[in-house]
Amino acid sequence: MAKITVEIVTPERRMLQVQADEAIVPGGEGLFGVRPGHTPFLSLVEPGPLTVREGGSQQVWFVAGGFVQVANDTVRVLADQAEPAANIDVEAAKRRLEEAQARMKGMTAEDARYQVEAATVRRETARMAIAKR
Amino acid sequence: MASLRDIRKRIRSVKNTQQITKAMKMVAAAKLRKAQDAIIAARPYAESLDQMIADLAARSEGLAHPLLQSRPVKKVDVIVLTSDRGLAGGFNSNVTRRVSRFMFENAKNYEAIRVITIGRKGNEFFKRRGSEILKDYPGLYSRVSFATAQQVAEDVTARFLAGETDAVFLAYNEFISAISQKVVLSQMLPLQSVGSEGAGTTAMIDFEYEPDRRQVLDRLMPQAIAIKVYRALLESVASEHGARMSAMDNATNNASDMIGRLTLYYNRTRQAAITKELMEIVSGAEALK
Repeated sequence: MAKITVEIVTPERRMLQVQADEAIVPGGEGLFGVRPGHTPFLSLVEPGPLTVREGGSQQVWFVAGGFVQVANDTVRVLADQAEPAANIDVEAAKRRLEEAQARMKGMTAEDARYQVEAATVRRETARMAIAKR
Repeated sequence: MASLRDIRKRIRSVKNTQQITKAMKMVAAAKLRKAQDAIIAARPYAESLDQMIADLAARSEGLAHPLLQSRPVKKVDVIVLTSDRGLAGGFNSNVTRRVSRFMFENAKNYEAIRVITIGRKGNEFFKRRGSEILKDYPGLYSRVSFATAQQVAEDVTARFLAGETDAVFLAYNEFISAISQKVVLSQMLPLQSVGSEGAGTTAMIDFEYEPDRRQVLDRLMPQAIAIKVYRALLESVASEHGARMSAMDNATNNASDMIGRLTLYYNRTRQAAITKELMEIVSGAEALK
């Protein structure tokens, strides 16, 4: 059976490059699955779980926003950050979340930093949600 | 004439210095390797991103984005990347000199040229010179990561979009090899001619964009700028270690030469003293006859 290549690339390095049967990506408009023969596709990626299925096993990664490009049976996820779900440091994520929330207090939506902090809150919330599963 | 003891002292001190420079060279070599690896590791992302932008550009009739918009340039920001530490040959002065020249040459063209410094050496230089330092990022080299680069990029992008600056330049040492670095002063904002490098391998594929091209582009552009800053940071770090390595290599060799010369001088002086003593004994014995 045909396989797809799944790559996770962060600005700092290539984190993953494997053959797989299916990948489930947290796209800009919800999760979507990619199997061999998928139409060329370019989407935004929201912070969330990236599931890679191969045979009977699967691995779950946390990806923190970015882009995904599907072409020629290759799924290339360009993420700002990525880590295997098993490696998530929940304590650190919680700390970052609380710090961001503290900074957001007293800010209004027009504040320059507001969007940045809101993104941090979204990212860390998603990260913790994956770790808990 | 220096006494034998003075020369011995001198030799010992040069040897000590040589040991330090040798150790620094070794440390720089190890750090250089790490920095080079980081540059190579950062390539796949940057290449994919460039390609996405090229694909997008090929498909839409001209990319329109605020960050691509050039306007009459009155106010300019220059981001200067230097190191926190010295003893790296011409590494820091090459950059600061290049930026000074740029400021001098363009003093009449622009209303204001402000600098943003990354690295203690550059900050000190421009402070001494009395230039307007807009912002400094102290201690950034202890945590070089994409996230820090992104922060710098966000700061200048916000200034650009708010009209506080009309063009942003990056000045840094580009890493060519361990013994060669080239100072680069390149425009960062507005972004220039993205995607003109032609279509990549996937150019013929008609992508579906989600949610739509506009929103994908809106996210790609800031990312492209952050990548530029990140790359400049990595190049600068690698260049710093390369420059320090060759500077320390030179220093070690110079110390060897100096030790050689001093040893020769020491032996000559010693020989002269012996000869002199012998002469005295002989002439003393002669006088007793």
